Amino acid sequence: MEILSLLDVTFFLLTALGALVGIVFGAIPGMTATMAVAVCLPLTYALGLNHGLALLLGLYVGGISGGMVPAVLLNIPGTPSSITTTFDGYPMARRGEGERALKISVVASLVGGLISAAVLFLFAPLLADFSIKFSYIEKFLIILLALTVIASLSHNMLVGIFSGVIGIWLSLIGDYSISDGGNGKTRLIFDFMEPYLFEGFSLLPVLIGIFGISTILLEAEKGVKSDLSDERVKIGKGAGATFSLALFKGRLTNLVRSSFIGTFVGMLPGVGGSAASVLAYTQEKNLARDSSQMGKGAPQGLIASESANNALTGGALIPLLSLGIPGDSTTAVLIGAFTLQGIQVGPLFIPENAETWYVMMAALIFANVVMFFLMFYAIKTIAKVVMVPKHILFPIIVMMCVVGAYAINYGIMFDVWTLLIFGVLGYLIQKVGLEVAPLIIGFILGSQAEVYFVKSLESAGTLTIFFTKSPIAVVLWLLILASVAFSITMSLKNRAKHRHELLG
Amino acid sequence: MPVFKKTIVGLGSAVLMTSLSYGIGAAQAQEGQLRGNVRVVIGSTSTGGDTYQNSSIVVDQLAEKLDINMKVDAVGASSAFRTLDRDARGNTLMIFHDQSYLGHLYGVEGYADIFEKYTIGPTVAINPGNAYLVPKDSPYETLDDIIAAVGEGETVRVAIQPGGVSEIGFSALKNAIAIEHPGQEDNLVAVNTGSQSDKNQLLFDDQVDLINGSVQANEQYTRLPEDDQKAMRFVWLTARQETIQQAPEEGLGQTTREQLLEFVEPNVHVTMGDDETFTFDKEFFFLYNKEMDPGIVEQIDEALAEIFEEGEIQEIQKSAFFIPNFRPSGEASEYLEEKRSRYEEIIENIQ
Repeated sequence: MEILSLLDVTFFLLTALGALVGIVFGAIPGMTATMAVAVCLPLTYALGLNHGLALLLGLYVGGISGGMVPAVLLNIPGTPSSITTTFDGYPMARRGEGERALKISVVASLVGGLISAAVLFLFAPLLADFSIKFSYIEKFLIILLALTVIASLSHNMLVGIFSGVIGIWLSLIGDYSISDGGNGKTRLIFDFMEPYLFEGFSLLPVLIGIFGISTILLEAEKGVKSDLSDERVKIGKGAGATFSLALFKGRLTNLVRSSFIGTFVGMLPGVGGSAASVLAYTQEKNLARDSSQMGKGAPQGLIASESANNALTGGALIPLLSLGIPGDSTTAVLIGAFTLQGIQVGPLFIPENAETWYVMMAALIFANVVMFFLMFYAIKTIAKVVMVPKHILFPIIVMMCVVGAYAINYGIMFDVWTLLIFGVLGYLIQKVGLEVAPLIIGFILGSQAEVYFVKSLESAGTLTIFFTKSPIAVVLWLLILASVAFSITMSLKNRAKHRHELLG
Repeated sequence: MPVFKKTIVGLGSAVLMTSLSYGIGAAQAQEGQLRGNVRVVIGSTSTGGDTYQNSSIVVDQLAEKLDINMKVDAVGASSAFRTLDRDARGNTLMIFHDQSYLGHLYGVEGYADIFEKYTIGPTVAINPGNAYLVPKDSPYETLDDIIAAVGEGETVRVAIQPGGVSEIGFSALKNAIAIEHPGQEDNLVAVNTGSQSDKNQLLFDDQVDLINGSVQANEQYTRLPEDDQKAMRFVWLTARQETIQQAPEEGLGQTTREQLLEFVEPNVHVTMGDDETFTFDKEFFFLYNKEMDPGIVEQIDEALAEIFEEGEIQEIQKSAFFIPNFRPSGEASEYLEEKRSRYEEIIENIQ
């Protein structure tokens, strides 16, 4: 019962405050959950460990969830892990179903968050032992599996793969970092670029630029006409805009599967958060009975993406609390709360700090619930953002993007240039007919794929290791093959259908 | 629900206003040359590591003493150096450890000669925890076993992060093997990797036989039962014996100082030739922009001297398993330059 005495009013208020501030951070393009946690980290000194954790976990859950708002309404992923949310969310918002899309996302987020919290609570030490069975080789294969989404995501497979390869190429610019065990030498740049591109392009400015700025450029090209803003007024009032839980009928498998994928990816240290939603999205695309609408505004895409990225939270805490290894970039900052209090997290953390463990679980669950209520009931108001006339809305978005890009690495001006470069590039890419989504997925996953590929070869010395390392590797290969085969059949089917329609 | 929401918003703005007013109050206190908001960048991107922990302790005390606003930012080495390069006003300071010059000795990109390019500030602490570990069921009981095995032609793979504190122990070990078993040193193989978790993972996978780690990060792993895949055992702490002796008696976690002393010289002997034993204390110190007002250097020196005089910081440092080690700027610079030349020799010997 001692635990209950730790859960005082302040504890709940701090968790709720954390969730609220987190949502705001997540919703502003360029501000992320990681940043929110980093900014508030020193507060844990004053708050003490339990209250500090309550605040930080609230921020974490809120920050990951908040990313859905600009993703759906503005086509800008608020956090990298909400990138797949843009694929279906934005088309829905354009159809006037923004409110519905957001509500679906919120419910999916809640389910994802709770499932992963339950998994964390029940199986953390067990899963941690499982997660260490994933060496460089298996991690490389997981990234490869996520990359196969490029094939099924693109409208024209060849163009899509080409765009994906360009994305991977862009991600390799800069040094092969010493902190990844590389040689610290730069490549793909000229000497004069080194001061700017030593560490390559930062992820978030690239994301915001290629999605946000280029969308604004495309819209601006059409001109700001009054009929367009009228079209936006429909949002929330369109015929199909009503939300009911019936939308989840027949989607339970997707919801649960995506939540587990999110948890699973979260628990693998070094496989980034965006891989979670991408992987869940791929699997829904491959396994759903009818995935033809995905990418054009299908609720199932939102469900996959949002349940997976919220499930990441519980998942990423698994290796943190049972190995002392953070599962993603936010938990990597979160670990500082323990460091500042002089508590070592490692394999004996949970048995030796049972109280803190229960406090964290309570905070995690409560934060998910608060996030749900805050967002579900605020959505009506939030969704009105798109009713703001474009000549006012766009400059504000651009300003926020610039501030976010400048702030993401604590004040690097080149990140703002990155934002603009990729904004224009994103615009041009769409003009010449390349595909943005595969390109950006290649960009996000490319550098990880490289590190794990090189490290695998370094430690094993032979290419065959990728096939012979472990039963896990074999299973992953089967999944990769299935995913590729599926994309090819789908594309052939579509082509036949298209031809049939033309003839008919 | 609206009432609930209002409470939240109310609470939020209250917290925000309190913090803002605190910030303004702090910014207005302008006596010495150091003023306004001071950002302390560190050479590590991790907030879970020793650099962040140590810097937070020092910066917290310093901010209080000087009555200014200071914040530690974990931006990583190359960003930290570049940020420091840009700011000569003294609003950006840096805290880092021996990596800052070892990186240069190892020829890592992005590392310049800090003694030429920057002003060396005071040293503040030692982390005595730099360690080497083997799996609990390893055939090697001691570091001597490893040296002997390598000398007999066995390949021993060591996971390190190249180009710094993590590599210096490896270099010394290689140097010792070259002295004791000439020609065999190439059997000690470095497996270059990144974070601590990557090094641990390589050990779990049996991809390496020995890893660089730390008392702080690996102590819990040493307490796992032998049949656990994750169980490890210390074989070597690089710190000097006197350094560990200053640690609190209860040690860290459930490993006492007495137990840790088993893994330092003279119990573990890594020869540098001529009866000299290799030791390495990982020391933290300030780095300043060369153009920064010397008044600020003095101001920080004085403030830290007072803080260490008061004695509270030593208690905090020790409880976090750091060894307090204050030397004012000038003294620190001389000391570290001397330290660098010692390690330069070892690195040259094996190249």
